[in-house]
Amino acid sequence: MKNKILLAAVAFAIGAGASFQAAAQAKPEQLVKQRQSAMALIGWYFGPIGAMMRGDRPFDAAVVARNAGYLEVLSHMPSEGFQPATKDEKTKAKPEIWSDKAKFDKAMETMQGEISKLAQVAKGGDMGAIKTQFGATGKSCAGCHDDFRMK
Amino acid sequence: MSQPHHAVKVWDLPVRLFHWVLVALFAFMFFSGKMKGNWMEWHMYSGYMILALVLFRVLWGFAGSTYARFSSFLAGPGACIAFMKKLLSKSPTHVPGHNPLGGWMVLVLLLVLLAQAGTGLFANDDISIEGPLYKFVSKDWSDQLTSFHYYNFYVLLALAAIHVAAVVFHVFVKKENLVSAMVTGIKKLDPSTEVPAVRFVSSWRALGLFVLALVAVILIVKRPF
Repeated sequence: MKNKILLAAVAFAIGAGASFQAAAQAKPEQLVKQRQSAMALIGWYFGPIGAMMRGDRPFDAAVVARNAGYLEVLSHMPSEGFQPATKDEKTKAKPEIWSDKAKFDKAMETMQGEISKLAQVAKGGDMGAIKTQFGATGKSCAGCHDDFRMK
Repeated sequence: MSQPHHAVKVWDLPVRLFHWVLVALFAFMFFSGKMKGNWMEWHMYSGYMILALVLFRVLWGFAGSTYARFSSFLAGPGACIAFMKKLLSKSPTHVPGHNPLGGWMVLVLLLVLLAQAGTGLFANDDISIEGPLYKFVSKDWSDQLTSFHYYNFYVLLALAAIHVAAVVFHVFVKKENLVSAMVTGIKKLDPSTEVPAVRFVSSWRALGLFVLALVAVILIVKRPF
């Protein structure tokens, strides 16, 4: 437990430190790479939980708890790469991200909140409870994918 | 409504069941697709069911009762133009089965539904769920098909709106209650309408064909070879 808090704190510190540097000099394509990498990792650790919830692979509480713990940290990363400097990059990001930044930020926060709850619930190991929170989390991901991502 | 009419049974039970179950599933697909989250699991099951229904309807279009068959309702261009003129005039447009325009709409709806269900099998939501055939295509292809799945839904929605608008037109302007006909199977036709002999095929054959379609879908979805 202590280790995990320490790990999170270190990760956060590194992330925060890096962002100070990055914000100052990062090129748009680096920012895009940053957020896409973060998203790829989120998908990587979220997907298997879904497969378990649907019964496509055996439920393993330890893996769910581990993945959810990673996700809690990862969920704070993508927003950092969404900077106005990237708006001319060719990605699936919609211009509404910049024109409706408040809504975008709110959707990001909602997602972070749901993932945080998922990490909490995952520690309990109860599949029913995890599944409910998994659904809410997926929905919160769609909060951005629906409105701010090209189809 | 006051003119005399004769009541003729035209829609067999399989056609009517197909129609209304499809309506219910279509509404559910809309709902679950918007809700996301855990609803997506049911979105997929419901999609398999729609695929099976559409496959069944295609089979029934060849092996079903008289007015369920494509050969009975896919009319040539001449018949379509003549019907459109009738539609705009005051004359009644009663026909025993699908009218020439409605017949083509059936085919278009089936094809667009097939495309919708088919692309859904390869789709991914980039969050947590993939169609059962996702693993057979590249991520790029899946993204393309997902995009199609997204936009094609609006095509489907527009077609459904046209379909409903046409029915409303027939009910209120032409005084033909097509809705009750699709519920009871019985159409009230103008006495002048000629009704050729209707041949009804046993619903057991329909059940057999539906099971066949369902097994085909389950094989595609669950036993990827």
